[in-house]
Amino acid sequence: MIWKILKGTLGAALVATLGLSTAAFAEYPEKPITLVIPFGAGGSHDLNARVITSTIPTYLNQAMIVRLTPGASGQKGTQEVANANADGYTLLFSHNYADMLQQHVENLPYDPIKDFVPIARVNFAPIALVVRADSEYQTFDELIAAAKANPGTIDMAHSGNWGALFVPAAQIMKETGAEFNLVPFQGGGPTMQALLSGDADVTMGFPSVLGPLIDSGKIRVLASAGPERIYDDVPTFAEAGIEGDIGYMHRVVLAPAGTPPEVLATLEGAFTDLQEDASFQRLMSRLGENSDLLLGEEYQELRAGQSDAYKTLVDSITQ
Amino acid sequence: MIEQFFEGALMAFRLDTIMMIAVGLFSGMLVGALPGFTTLMAMAILLPLSFFLDPLVGIPFLLGIYKGGIFGGSIPAILVSMPGTGAAVATSIDGYKLTQKGESRKALDMALFASVIGDTFSDIFTILMIFPIALLVMQFGPPELFAVLLMSLVIIVSTSGSNPLKGMVMMLFGLWLAQIGTDPIGGVERFTFGIFELKSGIPLLPMLIGVFALPELVYAVMRNEKVGGFAKLVGKRLSMAEFKRCLPTIRRSTLIGTAIGIVPGLGQVVAAMMGYSAAKNASSHPETFGEGEVEGVAAAEAANNAVNGPTLVPLLTLGIPGDNVTAILLGAFVAQGLRPGPQLFEEQGSIVFAILVAMVLANLMFIVIGYLSIPFFARIVTIKTGLLVPIVIMFAFAGAYVFRSDTTDVLMLVGFGLFGLLARAAKFDVMPMVMGFILGVPLEYAFGQTVAMAGGTPLQFLFTERLGMVAVLIATPIIGYVLWRRMKTATT
Repeated sequence: MIWKILKGTLGAALVATLGLSTAAFAEYPEKPITLVIPFGAGGSHDLNARVITSTIPTYLNQAMIVRLTPGASGQKGTQEVANANADGYTLLFSHNYADMLQQHVENLPYDPIKDFVPIARVNFAPIALVVRADSEYQTFDELIAAAKANPGTIDMAHSGNWGALFVPAAQIMKETGAEFNLVPFQGGGPTMQALLSGDADVTMGFPSVLGPLIDSGKIRVLASAGPERIYDDVPTFAEAGIEGDIGYMHRVVLAPAGTPPEVLATLEGAFTDLQEDASFQRLMSRLGENSDLLLGEEYQELRAGQSDAYKTLVDSITQ
Repeated sequence: MIEQFFEGALMAFRLDTIMMIAVGLFSGMLVGALPGFTTLMAMAILLPLSFFLDPLVGIPFLLGIYKGGIFGGSIPAILVSMPGTGAAVATSIDGYKLTQKGESRKALDMALFASVIGDTFSDIFTILMIFPIALLVMQFGPPELFAVLLMSLVIIVSTSGSNPLKGMVMMLFGLWLAQIGTDPIGGVERFTFGIFELKSGIPLLPMLIGVFALPELVYAVMRNEKVGGFAKLVGKRLSMAEFKRCLPTIRRSTLIGTAIGIVPGLGQVVAAMMGYSAAKNASSHPETFGEGEVEGVAAAEAANNAVNGPTLVPLLTLGIPGDNVTAILLGAFVAQGLRPGPQLFEEQGSIVFAILVAMVLANLMFIVIGYLSIPFFARIVTIKTGLLVPIVIMFAFAGAYVFRSDTTDVLMLVGFGLFGLLARAAKFDVMPMVMGFILGVPLEYAFGQTVAMAGGTPLQFLFTERLGMVAVLIATPIIGYVLWRRMKTATT
């Protein structure tokens, strides 16, 4: 009898605790979520985030607010999220180079692996190597041969050290032994302008920027990233003889480590639903972006690989 | 082409387009007037709204916010000496002096008319000359940008005040402040003493509010007047005679601003200062500049608004955004299925012209909206000191904080406020320091790029490929010397 009562009480207590805990998290999100972008206004992350935040409220039943916190190549905003409460109300929207490469170049005030968990890789952008239409280099091989014959005479415009254009350029140089003269510009727009005006001989860009310029015959693509060809007559980097994960910019949403699994599940669910959303798809394709979701755990595996590859790359260049 | 233009012009005259332009202008003006909230932020936040509107409603709406915001920024610059952006610094020099004289309404009127005229003419010029401008833009690269920035600094310092040596000291100090943080090219930390907060450099907004607004607040309190901490009166509106007197200045500044807009990377700050310096230099009474000269307000505002037209050219003709504002507009265009680029004019020329016509329309509408709102803004400065000073202090601190949501910035604000007071006591003008700070970053960046481009053969690079840069570099000390001599004889 006593045993029975005890079991009953224990059961009730158990149910009560479980009930309480589910009640506490069933509420999430009960207030707007802040999405911190550690880069400047008007960049590709900003535009992508505007599409996400204008469509995701349908699935979260709460607003998602963009906060731009540029500074120190993305470290300022990243640190802010690393220090934020792990309650799912402060998230980070970053990319693989800021996320996984910087730790090998500088001392960071946070540990990207220990302090963050990925929620969703929203999409990726494959980069392409381009020259002006009137350039003497017709193919990737010709360009590399010229860069080997006269090291450091071909100007390659990039968007900042260890950024989305610099890293693939460094990888190409490392794999082929060619040497470009790397000239920095402030962002992808000025980089492309430098190519068109003749200030640079070669640069790289993402499909959203390249599209209209290819169609109008102002530039020529020599090679592109990814396992499959993006442009019919243009080889991929792998076909051109450069192996490894090169030229992908993954746009990824991360949460501070320690965020409750229920919260992560809710967020992953919302990003999964977003993939089916017609206006999300329409806006993304108009921006020239794909939408290729990878959920937290799948992307976490990629991150570990990225970290190793970047470490090897950084070591080979700086030592 | 002509056919498309008229088709486009007709498309812009729609009731909903006009309504949304008005909404954009008014809200842009309010946001721009709040220190710490930039037009850029307002545009970014409202961008998604344009995704779901008709292209001829959504894009003109964003343009309205942009135009309203630029003028909005000059409101606190004129009324309480609180420029929220670098572009409004030149406006506040004479604008705030006019407020103190009890003529805030006249200063705001002049700012409005000069902005609208500068903007309208640069827009029309851009519409007519879009393809020649597109070719011209390509002539400017980092070496030319470096030379022109250096020349701008020399012109600013040699026309800044009665004592160019003090101006030079302050400018060098500003250039040094710009060095603090992560070096933009090599990524090396400089003068940060390992403090993480300094790694991204000194933020501009706390510096602007600190050196320009906080000392004025202290002085307003020390004057201890019951009514109107900053001014007793709002004064008369701008008269036709005064407007006519300023027309040559507005014309000159519009030309300067448009030309500066063509050079990628220069922007509104340089335009405003160059317009101001040129007006002061051309004037028969340069000593009145800096003492509440309505022409000074006209010169700065016409020039910084005239930059807008040409900066759109790389976006419209090549699909390349030159700055963050045009990047947001690019987002608005592509989300509507309009891909700016070489074919845009061929495929959808009428819509592009409709948008350009909407820009001109927005300017004309802004005359009305601005003119009706000015009396309300102008009255702010006559609120009694006990109320006005705390309100302005609140906006100063909130503005410095809200820009990056960083408490370090509040400390910087106080630090720069103290520095501003000291500089004033020692009769050092802080303006050259701020200009050195703002232009120091692009100057260094362009220099680094030039060095990288030149490779191992700098002389060959300069004299075979970059004669334009060499010419500007040779002309710079000569122009500086001539301006300095003229200022010296005019002011003594």
